[in-house]
Amino acid sequence: MGIRFKNTILKVSISAISILAAILIGAIIIASVGENVFVAYGFLLRGAFGNARAIGETIVKATPLIFTALAAVFAYRCGMFNLGAEGQFIMGAIAASWISATLLPFGGWLNTLLSMIIGALAGGVWGAIPGLLKAYRGLNEMIVSILLNYVATLFMAFLYSGPLMEKNIPQTVAIFDDVKLTRLIEGSRVHTGIFVAIGVMIVASYFLFKTAKGYQLRVVGLNPTAANVNGLAVKKMMVSAFVVSGMIAGLGGAVELLGSSYRLMAGFGLGFGFDGVAIALIGQLHPIGAGLVAYLFAVLRTGANTMQIATGITTSVVDIVQAVIIIFAVAATAIIALPGVKAIVNRKWKGAEQ
Amino acid sequence: MNENVLQMKNITKKFGTFTANDNISISLRKGEVLTLLGENGAGKSTLMNVLCGLYKATGGSIFIKGEKVKISSPKDSTGYGIGMVHQHFMLVEALTVLENIILGKTEDRALFIDRKGTKEKIEELSAKYGLGIDPDRKINQLSVGEQQRVEILKALWRNAEILILDEPTAVLTDEEATGLFEIIEKLTGDGKSVIFISHKMKEVLNISDRIAVLRAGKLVSEFKRGEADGSTLADLMVGRHMVESEYSKMDIDDGVVFSARNISYNKESKHSGLNNVSIDVRKGEILGIAGVDGNGQSELAQLATGLLDPDEGEIFLKGEKVTTFSAKRFIDSGVSHVPEYRNKMGLIGDMSVTSNLILKSEEDPKFAKYGGWMTDAKSARGYAEEQKERFDIRCSSVDQDTGELSGGNQQKVILARELSLTPDLLVAAHPIRGLDVGAAQFIHDQMISARERGCAILLISTDLSEVLLMADRIAVMYEGSIMGIYDGQKPPTSEISQAMAGKVQEPSA
Repeated sequence: MGIRFKNTILKVSISAISILAAILIGAIIIASVGENVFVAYGFLLRGAFGNARAIGETIVKATPLIFTALAAVFAYRCGMFNLGAEGQFIMGAIAASWISATLLPFGGWLNTLLSMIIGALAGGVWGAIPGLLKAYRGLNEMIVSILLNYVATLFMAFLYSGPLMEKNIPQTVAIFDDVKLTRLIEGSRVHTGIFVAIGVMIVASYFLFKTAKGYQLRVVGLNPTAANVNGLAVKKMMVSAFVVSGMIAGLGGAVELLGSSYRLMAGFGLGFGFDGVAIALIGQLHPIGAGLVAYLFAVLRTGANTMQIATGITTSVVDIVQAVIIIFAVAATAIIALPGVKAIVNRKWKGAEQ
Repeated sequence: MNENVLQMKNITKKFGTFTANDNISISLRKGEVLTLLGENGAGKSTLMNVLCGLYKATGGSIFIKGEKVKISSPKDSTGYGIGMVHQHFMLVEALTVLENIILGKTEDRALFIDRKGTKEKIEELSAKYGLGIDPDRKINQLSVGEQQRVEILKALWRNAEILILDEPTAVLTDEEATGLFEIIEKLTGDGKSVIFISHKMKEVLNISDRIAVLRAGKLVSEFKRGEADGSTLADLMVGRHMVESEYSKMDIDDGVVFSARNISYNKESKHSGLNNVSIDVRKGEILGIAGVDGNGQSELAQLATGLLDPDEGEIFLKGEKVTTFSAKRFIDSGVSHVPEYRNKMGLIGDMSVTSNLILKSEEDPKFAKYGGWMTDAKSARGYAEEQKERFDIRCSSVDQDTGELSGGNQQKVILARELSLTPDLLVAAHPIRGLDVGAAQFIHDQMISARERGCAILLISTDLSEVLLMADRIAVMYEGSIMGIYDGQKPPTSEISQAMAGKVQEPSA
């Protein structure tokens, strides 16, 4: 067995065990409030997979999470925490809604495409700010990007309750029908945005692991000092990674607007940025892993609603499960990195090989 | 006085499969100086780190004044009266001596610091042992020797009965070292015990009451003062009758590859600056830079590799004046670098041997097609296997992370990468620091064959014997300046060591 294969197995099992353990804890909570665990989880699964509509809804919920998780992965691989994916997501959506709702030079799919490109660029600009400040002024990128989330959220509020307000309702005017992303299944909201998400996931994965630039980005992320000594343009790389991370989040915002919400309103994009970071960590900072975990989170969320309606168990149980997954996954990753534990793992493996 | 203040019995310490300490037993009596003598990697520091609670021993036990104790943290060891002065000082530069000394002393639970009382006690200790330290001065105003005395003071203030000095003279000039030995005498005269770690024969013979020789993790023998002479000890240390590898020295003038003209950088600083330095490194020669650690060598290495811009002066690479200072500019002109800190500056510890070997060449068409947009994992791997054979890199597979390799093998990875670029100039800073004899010799052989090929080499080392062994010409650095440049074929060793202490002999005319 090769070392790389072993490492992959190790990482996958960390996430899988964390998820199973968290589900077990969720079961204990459900049982302790006197409900039948199997019934409750049964409804949860039915809510996520029960029919075409449910499956579609899960995918709709997964799509934005995939984008923000990929944004987190991308920045993290270059050694930075992008906690501002939410702001970049919102800025992307604002730009896309501006293009789709007010300017309509071409109409149809071309306009949709343009909206997505402009959305991605807006997210990129929003990501460039913390990136530049980090690389050239040494400011903490986490704080800058978090603060920019507020700026983006409040800017959006200004728009939907001011210049772009629809009559007296605090929301923007809906985008035109012909710019909306095509729905895939009759009776379900699932739209072509999921293909964009999967496309970005595959491209990000390819870029990080199969190109020279992706390799350089990872080198900068793992050891910036050595990267500098070995002639890499560390600061430029950091800024670029943050811009691309912002672009991914911004594209996500555009897709969410064009495929699902159609307008800006209070609560748009709320929490997607932080969920993305958590998902990225559980997904072991791999684009594909992040995509799968984003889907799992969406399953838990759509399922939780059905579970609550059918059994009266509140959706907070699922929030707890999600939180516990995060804690376990992060803790397990840290524990595995301890030299003592590492030695045991290596020994066990050697034993298994003989 | 024959009372044992410390006994370490059958101490074994393993790191994975590597045994750093193999069943070592030593004892220390009140008021004596015990020297641990051994090469780099012999296990001296590991043994002391076990005693200080930084490492947990795999086996064995420790007795303090005859009582068995368990030391599992540095706090425990301080509690038993053990104080260590590390090779690299653990001081906060921006704080005063007083603040550094009381830093982290948690037994004192008072809300406010009793500055006056503490200051008096520190001054008293300083006077008693002739340390000459003013508690109100800031660390960054002190010389290296003074900083070391602050470390000693810190240990004494914490009531240390056993002082461990880890290669204390490595950073000192001869004069400062003499001062240190006087302090050690006062300490032992007062009933304190000292464990002295060193590999400098002369001072060891001078100062030790007993000498314990360690080699490859084992205690090979123990002597009382006067029982063994320098050459016996040296043989034991190395484990064979020292056949010093000898390299032929060159005196060729085939053109200058690297030339620094009146370079200054941060020149006010004596320990991290350069003052009007001019050196040439010629094609096919090794220019060795000798000097005590912290006299501007790091800065010189960084200037020669584009990591720092000089404040004043000019640098020429292959005759061309350098105007932009960046690592990339220097790499593109054929400069390779074996950096001072291999983990921090040279390697990506969380990446595989393969990934580390292709660093700097990742965009080379050999490893990436379509202008870098499709890497060729197979050819990278094949290349890594080749280099693994050629440089004798011992790893379980080329997929193993370099962070898991031993220091020698890490250095081989770096050297393999740097030499495979067939550089015109190799800047090597402390290339064998911390390596065992075999690995060190291998690294040296590789450097010599690079020289034979015509590579110019700037070798920076604080180990004078390494410079004497390797260098065709020797330049001595002291407080940021070049004190003199000497012939490497018949090096005037006494003049060189004088120069290392900042004294230049006037030519007798």
